Amino acid sequence: MIEVAATPLQLSAPSLGALLFQFLNSFGFIILATVGLAIIFGMMGVINLAHGEFILIGVYGTALTYHAGVPLPLAMVAGVVVTTIFGVIVERTVVRHLYDRLLDSMVATWGLALVISQLLLIVFGSSLDSISTPMGSVSYGPFSSSIYRSIFLPIVAVAVLGGLYVLFTRTEFGVKARATIKDPETARAMGVDTDRMYVSTFAIGSALAGLTGALYAPALGSITPNRGSTFLVEAFVAVVVGGPSVIIGTLSASAVLSVFNATGSFFFGTFIGQMLLLLVAIVALRLLPDGITGYVKDWQQRRRAEQ
Amino acid sequence: MNSDRVSRRSVLAAAGTGLGMSVAGCSGSGGGSSGPTVGILEDRSGNFQLNGTSKWQATRLAIEEINENGGLLGEQIEIVDPDPQSDNSRYQELTERLILQDQVDALWAGYSSATREAIRPIINENEQLYFYTTQYEGGVCDNTIFPVGATARQQLGIVTPYLADEFGEDIYIIAADYNFGQLSGDWVNVLAQENGYNIIGEEYIPLDETDFSSVINRIQDEDPDFIMSMLVGANHENFYDQRATNGMEDIPIGTSTAMAQGHEHIRYDPPALTNVYAGVSYMEELGDLREGENFVEDFYDRWPDANYLNQEAQNNYFSVYLWAEAVREAETFDQEAVIEVLEEGQEVSAPSGELTLDGATHHMEHEMRVAEADEEHEISFTNNERIGPSFLREEVEGGAGCDLREEDKTTQYVPSDVYDV
Amino acid sequence: MSESVDAEASVLDRLRGRLEGPNTYGNSLPFWAVFAVVIAGLALYPQLVGVYTVIQTSRYFALAFLALSLSFIWGYAGILSFGQVAFFGVAAYTFGIIGLNFSSATEIMAALVGAILVGTVAAAIVGYFMFYGGVRDTYVTIMTLVIALVLNTFMAQTAGSEWAVGVAQLGGFNGMDIPSLTLGIGQSGFVLERAALYYALLAALVVTYLGLRVLVNSSFGLTMVAIREDEARTRTFGYDVPFVKLVVFTIGGALAAVGGVFYGSWGNYIDPTVFGIAFAALPVVWVSVGGRESLVGALGATVLIERMRTELSSGIGPIGSEWALVIVGGLLLGVILFMPAGVVPTADDLIARLRDRRTERGQSTNTPEEAIE
Repeated sequence: MIEVAATPLQLSAPSLGALLFQFLNSFGFIILATVGLAIIFGMMGVINLAHGEFILIGVYGTALTYHAGVPLPLAMVAGVVVTTIFGVIVERTVVRHLYDRLLDSMVATWGLALVISQLLLIVFGSSLDSISTPMGSVSYGPFSSSIYRSIFLPIVAVAVLGGLYVLFTRTEFGVKARATIKDPETARAMGVDTDRMYVSTFAIGSALAGLTGALYAPALGSITPNRGSTFLVEAFVAVVVGGPSVIIGTLSASAVLSVFNATGSFFFGTFIGQMLLLLVAIVALRLLPDGITGYVKDWQQRRRAEQ
Repeated sequence: MNSDRVSRRSVLAAAGTGLGMSVAGCSGSGGGSSGPTVGILEDRSGNFQLNGTSKWQATRLAIEEINENGGLLGEQIEIVDPDPQSDNSRYQELTERLILQDQVDALWAGYSSATREAIRPIINENEQLYFYTTQYEGGVCDNTIFPVGATARQQLGIVTPYLADEFGEDIYIIAADYNFGQLSGDWVNVLAQENGYNIIGEEYIPLDETDFSSVINRIQDEDPDFIMSMLVGANHENFYDQRATNGMEDIPIGTSTAMAQGHEHIRYDPPALTNVYAGVSYMEELGDLREGENFVEDFYDRWPDANYLNQEAQNNYFSVYLWAEAVREAETFDQEAVIEVLEEGQEVSAPSGELTLDGATHHMEHEMRVAEADEEHEISFTNNERIGPSFLREEVEGGAGCDLREEDKTTQYVPSDVYDV
Repeated sequence: MSESVDAEASVLDRLRGRLEGPNTYGNSLPFWAVFAVVIAGLALYPQLVGVYTVIQTSRYFALAFLALSLSFIWGYAGILSFGQVAFFGVAAYTFGIIGLNFSSATEIMAALVGAILVGTVAAAIVGYFMFYGGVRDTYVTIMTLVIALVLNTFMAQTAGSEWAVGVAQLGGFNGMDIPSLTLGIGQSGFVLERAALYYALLAALVVTYLGLRVLVNSSFGLTMVAIREDEARTRTFGYDVPFVKLVVFTIGGALAAVGGVFYGSWGNYIDPTVFGIAFAALPVVWVSVGGRESLVGALGATVLIERMRTELSSGIGPIGSEWALVIVGGLLLGVILFMPAGVVPTADDLIARLRDRRTERGQSTNTPEEAIE
């Protein structure tokens, strides 16, 4: 269809507000969809194609506990715990054999994704009852936006990145973990239990996927065993556009991608928003083959060299 | 590697693949079974399992009922029903298998229009009798295909005028960005032209989109009297939840897709679906309009774990009986003879009412109704009207209509063939 | 090797020399004997089984081109593309567009050439864009996947009547009709369907397989492998790495395009799901399971895995069809965990080890000439 959006919104104070909220909505979503994948990929060199299904386990954990009568915040905690435990089991049985076998890890986790989503179908049936989005909406002019999706989730997303930054740069665990990733031999020689570091890092990645699932359980609409794919594409695109540095990469890639996605959807409709997100990713990869943070690092090094 | 119906041929085939070639002379015809066989290809996993599962269940129920009552022409009907997993290329392969190897006498297959189009070349090549039961965009005029679900014109034709009379004439259309959604949007445009409504906004949304915030803002900006929503699939359902979050449930929604298929009014807490009006031929809440029968009870007795008995499932159910009646009348399972009987036009007593198969177009005259969900998602039905396949019967080909009794056809007409949309 | 006076034998030897080398599995007389038996068996196969099995196997053969294409670029040059389906799909759509607009046999043959050309050029453009832009490793993988997804999103919304090329409607999500492949001149043509299509595909596969064997055992093949093993060092030896990668990727695209044309004309139908993530993952699965450095492994894995996936959709014995995807997923996990190199290389390794042990035990002095390695 050529006429994608019937009438583009007129620019005005309220409609700019709408654009801002749409951006925040998209920004929060991309960060949360990406962060678990980014940790596991960036720190361990494993591409987890079952990432969407990990998130889905968080969704199911939360929804099942919530429908059993537990208040939503507690149900979310349950979702995170379930996913973390699952992640540790997967690490011990499958992923530990796949470190530094990037491409094999893709195939193995693709198989895992099939197994998880089909088991969810067999055990829990076609769908779970949905959970309404909490917190209502904020109105301005003729428009309104969901407080949960456009204000709460973006704040949580940024807080999660902040927390990870502290964890990996300011704590003993973080230093050990990064040392293990960078040079496992030396780390082991220095007395670091590298095996435990791998499990912990994978557990953190899984917990973050679980958190994303828990947070989106009430914002996902239908809860069916196929919803994992909702998260996968955005997460992949953001990881590679972000580049090697996990936290800054996720933050900057999410910002860039959601600006294009939100303005595209806002002015031209959701189809253009989706296409822009993918096309920007292609162009970004071509111009910055090592992602945004790879480029920044490169640029810093060159500047240092010049000085 | 072998299916549960191990035929001589499939064993040979497996041996052949392994190249354990003992050259045993095997040739000839004969399928996997000698008696009458019915093929069911409905999705029980993958994207469409939510809708496909109850279609599969209802088809099995109908055939088992017939078998319990002595079968057809004195024979028990055998069922072949692999799971196509919502995958169109698997559908193509399994359709070939069911036609060529199992030699099914009739086939029920597929939820989405894309699936129907994927297997249509195979159906045409083999002239297979095929019942497509999903409510769909309409217009398929094909020799051996009986699209017995309500068409967009039937569904939208009942609900759009009703809402315009009740709430006003400014309409905002949102629909899935593919054939079904775009053609449904065209039909709303046709209805608007005929009745003088205003389309004040029209938007088509990719099937994998889950975020409707920009759509909601645009609707708020236009402030329509009601929305016509032809959103499709699990991803799009999020619209109804986001609508409730944004306090927009006072803007009524007319739809041909929500509630009657994915039973959103049960899966979502109120008020997500409050004030949604669906043009339907059947929903579980309608019960059974036949004397002394209880379809819903029978269905849940057979399938205690079933989620919902949806509109499509009822189509599968009555069309099995439609076929069985035609077989009895033709006194043979021969597909050509059965099609000939069906083309005479058949009456069938369905849970949704007394329906008529229009022989010329292979489509149904349905009892259409508007299903409304209230604040508590309770369903009530209003505005009952019998609507026939008027587009194919009276409008296409410059008004001559499509008459499959007169000529062979394998086409699909679209609204723009007749209307300026 | 024993000196042969027979001229015929020396020609055969030279031919074998071209086909064999360190880059392929199966460099022995027993391998070629089995190969000949398999081909003969496959040629007889349609006489032994029902028409459904022939049709079904043709579909797997068409998909096998996709596997060969990926095995070639990934296994031999280290370029993992998640988007070979893009060239596969583009060729199928192109074949449909040209074929629907012109209908004589000659024109459909022209459509075949045109479609393969368009798929190949598309691969060359994407390859130039990536390899001359410094896109590497995982980034290539993701970029090719994103390209496929862009096509998926775009094609899905081309349902309107404005999306037509001549008389060919692109058809959006509902897909597009594709004519059958036809050989012939003018209006009189021989339509390739059922057994005819099977034999055409079988011949094309054998020729392609042998051709690729010659290519990977040539000096160009050695360069490919050098790039796979150590890109930086290959560059320092003076090889134009981006150019070699571009050529490899383009050949891979051409192979995928051939498969796409066959696949489209097999079902007389193509739809945007060929660009979707689920279909895009399949070639990676086949090639990983078969062994990515083994062309014959990729072929076998494609046919067997696809056949298994279809058979499982009816369930096996008491196990219902709902377990099909669990079993498929579990098998993949198992193969990757227990046979990291894939089935064929692992089996080859096993055979070699058994043979070594036997030679040791037999105190044999001469090393076996035809070591399967």
